[in-house]
Amino acid sequence: MAIERILKDDASEEKGERARMASFVGAIAITDLVKTTLGPKGMDKILQSTGRGQAVTVTNDGATILKSLHIDNPAAKVLIDISKVQDDEVGDGTTSVVVLAGELLREAEKLVAAKIHPMTIISGYRMAAECARNALLQRVVDNKENAEKFKLDLMKIAMTTLSSKILSQDKVHFAQLAVDAVMRLKGSTNLEAIQIIKKPGGSLKDSFLDEGFILDKKIGLGQPKRIENAKILVANTAMDTDKVKIYGARVRVDSMSKVAEIEGAEKEKMREKVQKIIAHGINCFVNRQLIYNFPEELFADAGILAIEHADFDGIERLALVTGGEIASTFDNPESVKLGHCKLIEEIMIGEDKLIHFSGVEMGQACTIVLRGASHHVLDEAERSLHDALCVLSQTVNDTRVVLGGGWPEMVMAKAVDELARQTPGKKSHAIEAFSRALVAIPTIIADNAGLDSADLVAQLRAEHHKEGCNAGIDVISGSVGDMAELGISESFKVKQAVLLSATEAAEMILRVDEIITCAPRKREDRM
Amino acid sequence: MAAVTAAQPRASKTESYVDNKRKEDIRQANIIAARSVADAVRTSLGPKGMDKMISTANGEVIITNDGATILNKMEVLQPAAKMLVELSKSQDAAAGDGTTTVVVIAGAILKQCLSLLSHGIHPTVISDSLHKASTKAVDVLTAMAVPLELSDRESLIKSASTSLNSKVVSQYSTLLAPLAVDSVLSVVDPEKPDMVDLRDIKIVKRLGGTVDDTQLVKGLVFDKKASHAAGGPTRMENAKIAVIQFQISPPKTDIEQSIVVSDYTQMDRILKEERNYILGMIKKIKATGCNVLLIQKSILRDAVTDLSLHYLAKAKIMVIKDVERDDIEFITKTLNCLPIANIEHFRVEKLGHADLVEEVSLGDAKIVKVTGIKDMGRTTTVLVRGSNQLVIDEAERSLHDALCVVRCLVSKRFLIAGGGAPEIELSRQLGAWSKVLHGMEGYCVRSFAEALEVIPYTLAENAGLNPIAIVTELRNRHAQGEINAGINVRKGQITNILEENVVQPLLVSTSAITLATECVRMILKIDDIVNVR
Repeated sequence: MAIERILKDDASEEKGERARMASFVGAIAITDLVKTTLGPKGMDKILQSTGRGQAVTVTNDGATILKSLHIDNPAAKVLIDISKVQDDEVGDGTTSVVVLAGELLREAEKLVAAKIHPMTIISGYRMAAECARNALLQRVVDNKENAEKFKLDLMKIAMTTLSSKILSQDKVHFAQLAVDAVMRLKGSTNLEAIQIIKKPGGSLKDSFLDEGFILDKKIGLGQPKRIENAKILVANTAMDTDKVKIYGARVRVDSMSKVAEIEGAEKEKMREKVQKIIAHGINCFVNRQLIYNFPEELFADAGILAIEHADFDGIERLALVTGGEIASTFDNPESVKLGHCKLIEEIMIGEDKLIHFSGVEMGQACTIVLRGASHHVLDEAERSLHDALCVLSQTVNDTRVVLGGGWPEMVMAKAVDELARQTPGKKSHAIEAFSRALVAIPTIIADNAGLDSADLVAQLRAEHHKEGCNAGIDVISGSVGDMAELGISESFKVKQAVLLSATEAAEMILRVDEIITCAPRKREDRM
Repeated sequence: MAAVTAAQPRASKTESYVDNKRKEDIRQANIIAARSVADAVRTSLGPKGMDKMISTANGEVIITNDGATILNKMEVLQPAAKMLVELSKSQDAAAGDGTTTVVVIAGAILKQCLSLLSHGIHPTVISDSLHKASTKAVDVLTAMAVPLELSDRESLIKSASTSLNSKVVSQYSTLLAPLAVDSVLSVVDPEKPDMVDLRDIKIVKRLGGTVDDTQLVKGLVFDKKASHAAGGPTRMENAKIAVIQFQISPPKTDIEQSIVVSDYTQMDRILKEERNYILGMIKKIKATGCNVLLIQKSILRDAVTDLSLHYLAKAKIMVIKDVERDDIEFITKTLNCLPIANIEHFRVEKLGHADLVEEVSLGDAKIVKVTGIKDMGRTTTVLVRGSNQLVIDEAERSLHDALCVVRCLVSKRFLIAGGGAPEIELSRQLGAWSKVLHGMEGYCVRSFAEALEVIPYTLAENAGLNPIAIVTELRNRHAQGEINAGINVRKGQITNILEENVVQPLLVSTSAITLATECVRMILKIDDIVNVR
């Protein structure tokens, strides 16, 4: 007896060849979409939101592009996920990882067509990835011992990362900014301490690093605009009234004077609260919520600088950098940890007034103020700078550095090729394919720059046949150049993450032989 | 660099050809969309530029010559076109003036880029060359600039009137220009001489009269009448002014409350209590000697009731109610007083003092003027008048531009000639510079130089002159070393524009060039539009 239906009405099932085909096609389509953004001459994309406001984003960042795409293909989703993971883990190489995975799948597709079992391909890829990693490991440079040289390495890495972004023209300036900011962190990867403030106006070159913390808020009326040796209480508390949070609570009175009494009592309660806060011995009070006129005046009378409506992000960061705690009750002044800083003052950037906290407790903290022509530029600049900061902070921990410009891929490809020749059996085809996928990256970089990629990659391969060669693609002059001389470096950690996660993703997609699409959940008002 | 062009035809034979075609198309579509935006505002450039009438979605009509305003209201959808709108906004933020110029320059550069792209030059090469060219351009402009002293009121007025000349209100430029200069200079803080916060200049618009009646008020102006429903005073000499953030009305608690009335006598009592409560407050106010009250608007309860107005009138206290919370800072800064949030804190030292507070009728409406303020803060109020709302709005925008121009001069004290002179000089010098550059760069820089000629060309065109004759003659004059030769639109000929007093701040020109280039470079680098969530 035939089973009529296993799955629900709208659910569908795709098997074997067709399933594999669907995943290949999806993954390769995604790869083709982002691959033009790769490399220093990569192009940008406009992301046009179909949602409200039709907001426009201009970006070169693979992770940002992929994150915002509408995707229906399961395999494509896997690629987007690895790009996200890459973003979280190391911050850069988000495009590379997708492109490499896509190329691996493209090669695998050919192998499957040539009747090689996916499992064979997978084991070949695994061997190749291991071999590639070892090859790269042998060529890493580690300048941990030499602080001077290491700083130079960091500069180079930052410049390489930034050169593919909007900041490329001012990359020296921004690389310096990023390196300074990361060096202040002293080895921690806590990028929270680096705050980025965007202010339209001026040009990108006017961006600067500020030692301290800047809060984009206003100081209350009639309060001091400048405080030295500030003691800061960071709080998240209602400064309008402490409401009874029981629904329907109300009072019944029989005369107007009683209403006035209640009002007076409410005011009194507020005053008590303010007194309690003042009793902490502070001279600066930062609240996440609004501070109403009445308490504001009380603070002003006490000569305390009160900042209202600092958002969650603002107070958390402020608490972090000033070493205070976020308080919401004020009964035990001794148990609340106050934040400290040397100086609070009002500064003006562009047309806006901001509050500047300098000499904060946590010495690592700093603020990067970005200036630029428009919001598009600023948003993109922030993303680029974030990438650079991520990479740098990772590099500070893992000080191994490799060269850039397609150099690591060529080194790996060479080692993998070697391995293919030594491996007996069908696996060698897969290993060879792996090396072709690696070479695809320099090819794409060259293509994006409008160079003759076939010619350049052939030259590059020939160069790499020699021992200890530093050749890579010099996109600026359009030829093969010495990467060490050009100062193009990348973090080993990024490269390793690209290699491993791309292989894993490709492997995962390859293993699939059936796609079951569940019936969509019925919803009345689908967006 | 030669490899770039060589690679192009060869690449076209491979399968990636289709891809590239699509990318070229998108880039071209972007450029064309952006250029059409630039064309839309082109005719409003210069003193003889035309105005645009915009009827907005809600039926409002705006007549303006201000590039930023036109673009802002245009509601463009194409992403690249939107970037030009953003560009104009940025110029507005950075310099305040030149919002049309920046868009026109960007449009002209884009036009040149289109032909560069069709020659097969890689977009990033164009982009990099443009950046170089704009940096060089800024250097050239800076070299041309004339330094200025803030004490040189004449020059400041000249540049403000250059900005005003292109507006609807140009015939009033003799009045508005000195007004703009005076108001900016009066808010300059001697401690921080480079910073001017335009928020310290309040512009109050009032219908009636003509633009001629626009005046600078050393003090405060409220766009509302005094509340004298109960016959309170409308004029107060030796005023002691309090800015209060509480309300003079029956008490209201935050917790929900209701008064239970069980019989008639109780009602009487409640009324009496209410009266006593208000009277108590007013007595406290009166006790400090305060005679003018500014009451902040409250959404929770009435700021004043008829009853309290009555008592206030009896106490001879002038009341202005519904002051917006946003204005409180400005007011307290001007009056040099502190806001009072609670009746208990009503103390003498928080009051501000002024010689005279009076209600003045202007046409059919009334305003309240506060003059002779003691220890006045560094603020200023400009009262703009006009025969209809459209004129007033445009006058306000023009005045804003003029204020920005003066502000630019305060922060960067250099002047440059107007009338297309800097652009043509730039074009000449960059053209010469492009000849010493190698490869693609030289080619792109030359295109950039040519693009800049659009400004004098459009100026001449809008003035009804023969643009080609004018631009060639200009080029000729500049080649002979008259770097300040520019188009004198009034006389319809070329003269030394510095002598004609047509000057503008350096900041406006430099920021127009750098911002336009930055925007063009961004558009060039885009090769795809992706629809996302």
